[in-house]
Amino acid sequence: MVETDENLMLAVRAGDVSQLGPLFDRHHRVLFDFFARMTGSRAIAEDLVQDVFFRILKYRATFREDSRFKAWMFHIARNARVDYYRKHHPEAVLPEDDTAGFQSSMPAPGRALEHEEQITLLECAMFKLPAEKREVLVLSRYQEMKYEQIAEVMGCEVGTVKVRVHRALNELREIFLKLSSEKQPCNVKKSGASLRIM
Amino acid sequence: MQCEEVRSQFADYVIDQMQEPVRSLVSEHLTSCQTCRADAEELKSLWKRLGSIPAAEPSPELESRFHIMLEAYKHGLNHAPAKNWWSRVNAWMSRWWPTQPVLQFGFSLGLLILGVVIGRQVYSSSTIPSIVPPNTEVAELRSELTQTRQMVALSLMQQQSASDRLRGVNWSYQLQQPGGEVLTALLDTLMHDSNVNVRLATVDALRQFGDRPVVRRGVIEAMTRQESPMVQIALIDLAVDLHEKESIPTLRQLTQDRKINETVRERAQKRLAELE
Repeated sequence: MVETDENLMLAVRAGDVSQLGPLFDRHHRVLFDFFARMTGSRAIAEDLVQDVFFRILKYRATFREDSRFKAWMFHIARNARVDYYRKHHPEAVLPEDDTAGFQSSMPAPGRALEHEEQITLLECAMFKLPAEKREVLVLSRYQEMKYEQIAEVMGCEVGTVKVRVHRALNELREIFLKLSSEKQPCNVKKSGASLRIM
Repeated sequence: MQCEEVRSQFADYVIDQMQEPVRSLVSEHLTSCQTCRADAEELKSLWKRLGSIPAAEPSPELESRFHIMLEAYKHGLNHAPAKNWWSRVNAWMSRWWPTQPVLQFGFSLGLLILGVVIGRQVYSSSTIPSIVPPNTEVAELRSELTQTRQMVALSLMQQQSASDRLRGVNWSYQLQQPGGEVLTALLDTLMHDSNVNVRLATVDALRQFGDRPVVRRGVIEAMTRQESPMVQIALIDLAVDLHEKESIPTLRQLTQDRKINETVRERAQKRLAELE
């Protein structure tokens, strides 16, 4: 029988820290995806994933029987990201070539060029959104979380999430339309590395 | 439903988080209002395209880094002095401590009042403790942390990749009192590592442990064995900065050896004068 995340975490809390292994196997990819979409940098995303699992060990005693593991983990993940940016000035984090091979800069054979450009513009528009707005879209679109789950992760009311998603989506559309009409290179800073659109 | 009211629901409609009967009302409005329909379609298409931004895959190193960290943590736990009661108290407290701020505030206020009452009672009998017991839990935690750091540094120094070994060397900066194992590993890296940058970083890392006799001996021994002029110069500087008189014969030998790079010989000559 497959153990639930919560049971594995309760075992970790009780001192069987090796049970963190299966939890890592199940969740490190989604966490990496979340951080990569939030920071735009593979290296920072990997450091943050490592940091989250270290914090899970360190603060394992704070996990409660009635907690849901995924929400608790993302709560830690948000704090880890905020702490990271407090410590490191985003302008001076990484060398320019860090985004080489990242996401949309990967060649995608078979994909129509126009569609490729649109996706790259959209990715750029996402990075132009303020972090708190980008975050609700990332959690909703890529982590497929419902408003209630996002509210649990962010520790706020469902209504607040709803308003933030609404505003984020509209702002994203505005930025995307502006970028599409300008056809300018995207100079948004992704954690100190420039994302350029050809 | 009016256009404005419908538009305020667009996000929910687009990302499919809308409940009945609002959904039917919005759909009904969209069939009759062309402007709103176009707007909703635009947002829907944007939402759909967001899904086309590909996901990034983590590198395999992430998994190995995690396992190193987990092993180091387990090692730290196993080698920590017998499980302290402090963490058990913490775990026990975190289970019943209320989560709601209002309850937390009320509870804290209750405790404060109780503390004041008890304080007054105790004060009236005027017995003030003069000695604070040493905080052994903090010391245990520190030792656990140091052991974990040592493990991480040692594991990283054994890696194939030079950047990992560099990170291992840099980890040693976090150790105030490293064990013999770490110093041996650092000296071994200084003698045998194939990468010049790693060896140079090791010379810098060893500087902080310059008061240890084993490090001083290692530095002198490495001077003649190194082939890279950069590393040799760094070692000469380190030995002289540490005022290591034992290094004088080796420095003399370097100044006289014609096979050695001229810059290194000049450096040895110049710094030798400071020691003599």
